[in-house]
Amino acid sequence: MDINTKKLKKNAFRVTKERGKTAIRVRVPGGHIEAKHLLILKNIAEKYGNGTLHITTRQGFEIPGISMEYIDDVNKEIQPVIEGLNINQVDPNTGYPASGTRNVAACVGNNVCPFGNYNTTDFAKRIEDAIFPNDYHVKIALTGCPNDCIKSRMHDFGIIGMTEPQYDPYRCIACEACVDNCRDRIVGALSIENNKVVRNEDKCIGCGECILKCPMSAWTRSEEKYYKLVIMGRTGKKNPRLAREFITWVDEESIIKIILNTYRYVDKYIDKDAPGGKEHVGYIVDRTGFQEFKKWVLKDVELGPKAIVEENIYWY
Amino acid sequence: MNNNVYLPFKSKILDIKPHTDIDYTFRMEFEGDVKPGQFFEISIPKYGEAPISVSEIGENYVDLTIRKVGKVTDVIHTFFPGQNLFMRGPYGNGFDVDLFKEKELIVAAGGTGLAPVKAVVDYFVDNKDEVKDITVVCGFKSPSDILFRDDFKKWKDEIKTILTVDNGEEGYTGNVGLITEYIKNIKIENIEEANVIVVGPPMMLKFTLQELLNRGIKEENIWVSYERKMCCGIGKCGHCKINDTYVCLDGPVFNYTKAMKLID
Amino acid sequence: MGISLSNKEFNNILDELKKEYKIYAPKLFKGKGRFSDTDLVRYDEISSIEEIEFGKKSYYSPKEVLLPITQTLFYFTEDKVIEPEIDHKKTLVFLRSCDIHAVKRLDEIYLENGVEDPYYKRRREKMKFILMECEKSFENCFCASMGTNETDDYSLFVKSEGDRVFLDIKDKEFSSYFDTGVETEVFPNFVKENKIEVNIPENLDIDIFKSLMWKEYTSRCIGCGRCNTVCGTCSCFSMQDIFYKDNERTGERRRVWASCQIDGYSEVAGGFDFRSDQGDRMRFKVMHKIYDFNKRFGYQMCVGCGRCDDACPEYISFSNCVNKLNEKVKEGK
Repeated sequence: MDINTKKLKKNAFRVTKERGKTAIRVRVPGGHIEAKHLLILKNIAEKYGNGTLHITTRQGFEIPGISMEYIDDVNKEIQPVIEGLNINQVDPNTGYPASGTRNVAACVGNNVCPFGNYNTTDFAKRIEDAIFPNDYHVKIALTGCPNDCIKSRMHDFGIIGMTEPQYDPYRCIACEACVDNCRDRIVGALSIENNKVVRNEDKCIGCGECILKCPMSAWTRSEEKYYKLVIMGRTGKKNPRLAREFITWVDEESIIKIILNTYRYVDKYIDKDAPGGKEHVGYIVDRTGFQEFKKWVLKDVELGPKAIVEENIYWY
Repeated sequence: MNNNVYLPFKSKILDIKPHTDIDYTFRMEFEGDVKPGQFFEISIPKYGEAPISVSEIGENYVDLTIRKVGKVTDVIHTFFPGQNLFMRGPYGNGFDVDLFKEKELIVAAGGTGLAPVKAVVDYFVDNKDEVKDITVVCGFKSPSDILFRDDFKKWKDEIKTILTVDNGEEGYTGNVGLITEYIKNIKIENIEEANVIVVGPPMMLKFTLQELLNRGIKEENIWVSYERKMCCGIGKCGHCKINDTYVCLDGPVFNYTKAMKLID
Repeated sequence: MGISLSNKEFNNILDELKKEYKIYAPKLFKGKGRFSDTDLVRYDEISSIEEIEFGKKSYYSPKEVLLPITQTLFYFTEDKVIEPEIDHKKTLVFLRSCDIHAVKRLDEIYLENGVEDPYYKRRREKMKFILMECEKSFENCFCASMGTNETDDYSLFVKSEGDRVFLDIKDKEFSSYFDTGVETEVFPNFVKENKIEVNIPENLDIDIFKSLMWKEYTSRCIGCGRCNTVCGTCSCFSMQDIFYKDNERTGERRRVWASCQIDGYSEVAGGFDFRSDQGDRMRFKVMHKIYDFNKRFGYQMCVGCGRCDDACPEYISFSNCVNKLNEKVKEGK
């Protein structure tokens, strides 16, 4: 059997421990999928694989036990799923064109969750559309609120939903539900002064729970959606760490630009002699320093007036 | 607009008499009809209002006995005679002293509960011939909690007065024990007709009422005064409502036959 | 008798009316719902028929038009109290039958129970109703059970159909405004029945206060107070004093809406709370709505709008509670 493993891997298949067998990795941007696509995955698993599916940590599916000789057939059969999920493709019926940039993961977000401050799936799909296909190893995750259920802080880019609570003192009856909740469960950004609530803007993390608690709609959501962009978190063998705040109260457009700029930065600075030509973005930032990264990624980015950019980041 | 019931009037503090560290009686300038058991909304702008019952009624004054227990009353305690407080009222039904005339009357009070009923005692001390017999039995936590010492001294010479404390202190020579103990032994000639007024904290009220009923006092001859959260005093704000009863309008004085059916 | 007008004609008349009236109606506030990307329907001033949300039940009742959420009673300096300026403009409110009935309950408390409330009276005297019809019963409504599904206490009836407005003028004061339009028969349609039927036990007495059934709510209710704040008949308020930061000797006394489900409602100075258990608070509220008020004033307080059920985050149903109460009474507790 003569298989180009480089090509195979780039095509979103993998070399498995069982000789001659491969597994296809199905990307599901934003982790939300129409149920009908599962039937196709089922058919592939039963026809070419060993009848099982693995749900990956990145919210995709991996169909193992496929004989390498069936790669072309599998790529044809998976086509409706690729199209149904609007995955950018080079040629139809040839499967996935890249695998380096991983599936963009998202918590269920405001499709379902009361805490979600935005539609995480929609934003994930926008990012996927902007960056895929690409061979560079970049991991992105989106989470609806600072609870960070998707564990976005273990990603190169973590996008955390925020809203800027709008307060109408006229509607407030000083029940203090927001104050108590913020003090007991969040950051204690609220206090009562003269029978009305005062929000400490420096402390507020924009989680929106005051809005959830308010029986009077005295607290409501800002028209604009905001995000906290945390960067360069990682797992792995070499120096794992949590992502740190890069920009707080940043907007959606800017995030997309920053991520696209990051690919240019990687292009410029990636270690061409790295083993297998692969170097994760976080290690590149370690080499160039944060300031160089920042210079590159903020190029032509027009941040909104609320955005707070960190001067420096110290990961630990 | 002068018919605005929410606008308080200014009233001068004529005198302040401290009873304990936290209980002071403020003599407030006031002219108008007031009944024992009624209350005023007393306020200091920017701190708020508090319902306070009258403890003594005079020609051109009312006494308000105020315990330092909250934002408003804490500040009131920093005031001096000659300064002004704001007041609204009087509110509530108050005691109808006519009901007690010609009969035996027992006034049982616990702690600050004496304040709202004190004016009834004062009335019958001044008009002894109007009542067949009057006994005051009053309990405080400790000797240092005793209120209205001067009045007690005066009453002792005029009417049957039992002053007791739950716990004595060194040097204290008076009665010790819960007032229920003393109620057991009060001589009552006509149990059918004797009236009793009971005012005090919830637990004291419960056990005193039990004792009175044991002794055969008729439910319809027992009167209580309720302390509730009277915010507006005029039946609007709802805070003092119990069942279909607004304490500020229909009370705070209730006949026991009614009070026994009030469930918070 | 009624007339029909184009939306444009109607809006022109609204402009005329606005010279004398503030006009309030349920309005959809985009993105202002509790959860992200959800909307809120609540009362606000409007100036065109298109702004009015006819198709949804408002989350908050129209009571906020009559009973400001935060209302200044007077301003004070160190030794003077001064009443605020009075807004002399009249008001017109678009509202449904149940909500018109709810205003009668507020009147009972604010104009009858004890002395008149001057602040309420001033607003109430200047208020007229425009009836909105309910083509069908909304979720959780039980107006038919409470007898509030119909009313004739309104000045105008207004109905919007596409680009035309149909209205019936009952109050002659408005006839002069509507001199255009095509004459046509216009009648309000009233809901005759709801999916939810509520049976209020007839021979209730205070024994039910001691029933164990209230204990269920001790653990279920979180005491957020939404059932009160959305209710069209809840009338309670609390007093607040505030002082101005730049001159602490001056300030104002206000009243704000209060909720019998929220901590502090029955707490007296010194910290004793006469009703601290959520089950007892639920009992207090339910009995007020279907027993106490009736005992005092001769008719039920609850108007069956179902907003309390719409709003409860813990899915506690008032209507179901009353029906459970009915069952309890039937089986002799």
